[in-house]
Amino acid sequence: MDYETLKLVWWLLIGVLLVGFAIMDGHDMGMGVLLPFVGRNDLERRAVINTVAPHWDGNQVWFITAGGAIFAAWPMVYATAFSGFYWAMMAALWALFFRPVGFDYRSKIQNPAWRSTWDWGLFIGGAVPPIIFGVAFGNLLQGVPFHFDDILMSTYTGSFWQLLNPFALLAGVVSLGMITFQGANYLMMRTEGDIYRRTRSASLLFGTLTFITFALAGWWVATGIDGYVITSTVDPNGLPDPLAKTVATAAGAWMTNYHTYAWAKWVPIAAFAALATGILFARLDKAGLAFWSSSVACAGIIGTAGVSMFPFIMPSSSDPRSSLTVYDAVSSHLTLGLMLGATVIFMPLIIFYTSWCYKVMWGKVTTEFIAANDKSAY
Amino acid sequence: MLTEELVDLSRLQFAVTALYHFLFVPLTLGLAFILVIMELTYVITDRPIYKDMVRFWGKLFGINFALGVTTGITMEFQFGTNWAYYSHYVGDIFGAPLAIEGLMAFFLESTFIGLFFFGWDRLNKWKHFMVTVLMAVGSNLSALWILIANGWMQDPVGATFSFVTMRMEMSDFWAIVFNPTAQAKFVHTVSAGYVTASLFVLGISSYYLLKGRDLDFARRSFRIAAGFGFASALSVIVLGDESGYTVSESQKTKMAAIEAMWETEPAPAAFTLFAVPNEKAERNDYELQIPYALGLIGTRSLTKTMPGIKEIKARNRERIENGIHAVVALEQLRRNHDDKAALAQFEAHKADLGFGLLLKKYIVDVSQATPEMIQQAVDDTVPRVAPLFWSFRFMVALGFLFLLLFSFALLYSIKGNFIEKKWLLRWALWFIPMPWIAAELGWIVAEYGRQPWTIYGVLPTHISVSNISVGNIYGSLAGFVGFYTVLLIVEMYLMTKYARQGPASLGTGKYHNEKSAGGALPASAPANPI
Amino acid sequence: MWYFAWILGVTMAVLLASISAMMCDARECALDEARTKAANDTRRG
Ligand code: HDD
Ligand code: HEM
Ligand code: HEM
Repeated sequence: MDYETLKLVWWLLIGVLLVGFAIMDGHDMGMGVLLPFVGRNDLERRAVINTVAPHWDGNQVWFITAGGAIFAAWPMVYATAFSGFYWAMMAALWALFFRPVGFDYRSKIQNPAWRSTWDWGLFIGGAVPPIIFGVAFGNLLQGVPFHFDDILMSTYTGSFWQLLNPFALLAGVVSLGMITFQGANYLMMRTEGDIYRRTRSASLLFGTLTFITFALAGWWVATGIDGYVITSTVDPNGLPDPLAKTVATAAGAWMTNYHTYAWAKWVPIAAFAALATGILFARLDKAGLAFWSSSVACAGIIGTAGVSMFPFIMPSSSDPRSSLTVYDAVSSHLTLGLMLGATVIFMPLIIFYTSWCYKVMWGKVTTEFIAANDKSAY
Repeated sequence: MLTEELVDLSRLQFAVTALYHFLFVPLTLGLAFILVIMELTYVITDRPIYKDMVRFWGKLFGINFALGVTTGITMEFQFGTNWAYYSHYVGDIFGAPLAIEGLMAFFLESTFIGLFFFGWDRLNKWKHFMVTVLMAVGSNLSALWILIANGWMQDPVGATFSFVTMRMEMSDFWAIVFNPTAQAKFVHTVSAGYVTASLFVLGISSYYLLKGRDLDFARRSFRIAAGFGFASALSVIVLGDESGYTVSESQKTKMAAIEAMWETEPAPAAFTLFAVPNEKAERNDYELQIPYALGLIGTRSLTKTMPGIKEIKARNRERIENGIHAVVALEQLRRNHDDKAALAQFEAHKADLGFGLLLKKYIVDVSQATPEMIQQAVDDTVPRVAPLFWSFRFMVALGFLFLLLFSFALLYSIKGNFIEKKWLLRWALWFIPMPWIAAELGWIVAEYGRQPWTIYGVLPTHISVSNISVGNIYGSLAGFVGFYTVLLIVEMYLMTKYARQGPASLGTGKYHNEKSAGGALPASAPANPI
Repeated sequence: MWYFAWILGVTMAVLLASISAMMCDARECALDEARTKAANDTRRG
């Protein structure tokens, strides 16, 4: 495969991993967000937690692998974004600390204060990372203040608080809504009785919230945010060197892909449609279909951000030519090819055994079951 | 600005978080296989006690695993947050094993650990056994890939530098995978994990035996740990020797420092058992040596010499002086990719590029480096001797003590009378923390011994860091220390609580305290959990 | 070829340890069990 194709394939694959993360880890993070509200006593909460008990760790690996894949395929993005968003990364990391410990340790001690502390820990571990990733995307869309020096060492010149601007916060809400919607639909499939009724209301609420905020964000990007364009010629097959191009900002530039490529507009359309059908199916008590819809919505929403910015990954607002794109932030030809091979081999395997694992553990988790398996359930 | 403070803090944070991660790693690696052994015995013999063993030790496994995961996520992201230039400079090579680790190992381990804990009622025993095996294989594969990555940092094979992209690029993937350094490191490190877990099981079983409770449970656990532990303790020594051999092949500096060998000695060199290294005077104030031994271990021959620190420094001075030309040429090439003269100069000296970069610690324009700066850079190329010398000797001494302990344990379990050897049981109990100490010391030897490089001979630690403010790192370091302290307390509390409770914590109604306490089963225990 | 040695070594060690446990079943653990059983019977009875 030639270098250009590989670069494009990796743009797609990173997208797939992020979508996989949103669908899989998203539903157990969404569970965490809803946990304190849909479970009103210890047994109910344990029932909620045990819907994801056998799966959360495997799901979290989507996140870890997405990180590893960005390191391998887009090392400059990994280096620049992670060090630039230093405090945001730390906050996400520390919020994630609450999850393994919350799941594993919560029910190992009887004390109610202990248990409720970890319930809130799971809440933080579920709510904070999606908000931060949403905020990060919100900032990428606006451009981030960083530049490279002669030896390609990157320096971020903004501050942490600057990341929390209104548009980015809106993006954070979209992301939180999307994940919680996903989690609610999952819980509807796996619970019954009171818990089911509460998660159904949550699904309707967060589905609608996501729909509205996503529309708002789209309108904002189209009218209020300057996009970026490459103003020099790029050799898509060339060796990656971010400083070799020139870049300018232009109003409405994030919309050009939708004009250039006819298929592109189907991505946001799919997002809206899937959100709408998700809400509808939740209302009709078709939990399975609602879950599939919200999964498509995750793909649509993340895809929309990616397609709007293409070929940019991380535009620089302070030194536009330092912007990182699909063509110049990537690893070598050999590494991209090799990693593609590894993905093609392992991804189907992973999907296969993960599905098997869900199949084995499938069914409603009830409070009676928890009471009967007090020592072995979470 | 890359100040010394920034670099030191980044290193400190990495060392703290990595050493902390490695508190949980070895037990996961080893206990997973001990669970496999117990479950294998269960599927063969069909005796429920083995299932209880899998479930009880599995509980402790789970408590440990949770923190392994928590601290592992830190490691995965820290390269980006704190070692940004490193990530750019070698990401093309280093990122690949990390990503493959996720795809091939973490997914396997983490997916099946869920079924391991919750699938008992839903899988038949063979299927459940397969799940346990896959989980164990997954965790060990994760060690494989991360150690391939780490092995490459120690011995950077299969990669070349490109001045256009200003980074190292992969040229031969299989050379990286089959790097002898990585292979030796992998087997030595996983064996260390097996020793850790075996001693953990051996020690806790000894505790029950000393208390005279849950005898049938503890006896079997003890025997399994003794058998597996003996094999592991033996291999950790053999493979440690192999690691030492790869070090003396690829990292002569580290070897000389570990051995406090200031002068090049005529072959075969003597092994220094004990010494008081004196950095200033570059000699040992006192030493006790075994003739010929080091030459045999390090070179596996009677005729090859091993260079001493003084000789290494003299060679490194030449390489640094050469490296200046490489850096200067590179800077010209960065400004103009087509500069033919610069390219020729660069090609001639590029093997020493990393050595030239060492001077960046002292001056931006290395062509202006003074003789004092060069002397300082030369001195930098050898890490401080005493920490390495002693860490290594402690690790090795512990290694032999483990072998001794497990030899006795195995001997008496074959004889069947270990339960009467109170001294052995006490020794096992009190020795539980020792493998952790040995493993942490091992990492200090490996990583501190690699200084001043992150990629040996290629990329100095000094320019590997993220260009961020030191305030950031003070903050995050404080956060890590705070979180990790609390987490460790919680973990230790749960671990001791469940270890003390013993198999009774399963609530099967068969074990210590369950029947004797009032005679009735506790109300919450299900009659039969299957 | 250390990777290969690892596969072989672990397999052997696992089998050995398992056999060692089964030896226990056959010998002293059997005695233990009989003893525990007797003790329980008297306590229950
Ligand atoms: C020799 C083995 C070894 C070494 C050197 C490391 N790890 Fe580790 N890691 C493991 C062996 C391991 C493991 C045995 O697979 C763990 C430990 C406990 C556990 O639960 O899995 C794990 C867990 C673990 C996890 C969580 C995986 C999950 O969710 O299941 C991550 C993300 C990392 N590690 C990443 C790293 C990175 C980036 C390292 C390098 C700096 C690193 N580890 C060093
Ligand atoms: C989990 C086991 C590990 C432990 C306990 C460990 C230990 C250490 C220690 C003690 C240091 C500090 C050395 C110093 O500052 O003088 C260090 C540094 C470092 N190690 Fe490791 N290490 C581990 C695994 C790894 C792995 C697997 C990698 C790479 C994949 C790695 C990469 C680094 C890097 C980049 C640094 C920072 C630069 C430096 O100061 O050397 N370490 N590590
Ligand atoms: C006679 C016994 C031993 C010898 C000869 C030995 C040798 C070595 C050597 C030479 C290194 C450095 C490798 C490098 O710098 O790349 C090392 C590292 C290490 N050792 Fe040992 N060791 C022994 C025992 C042990 C024991 C008992 C443990 C733990 C239970 C242990 C755990 C480690 C670990 C975790 C590392 C770091 C990883 C690595 O570099 O392989 N070692 N050992």
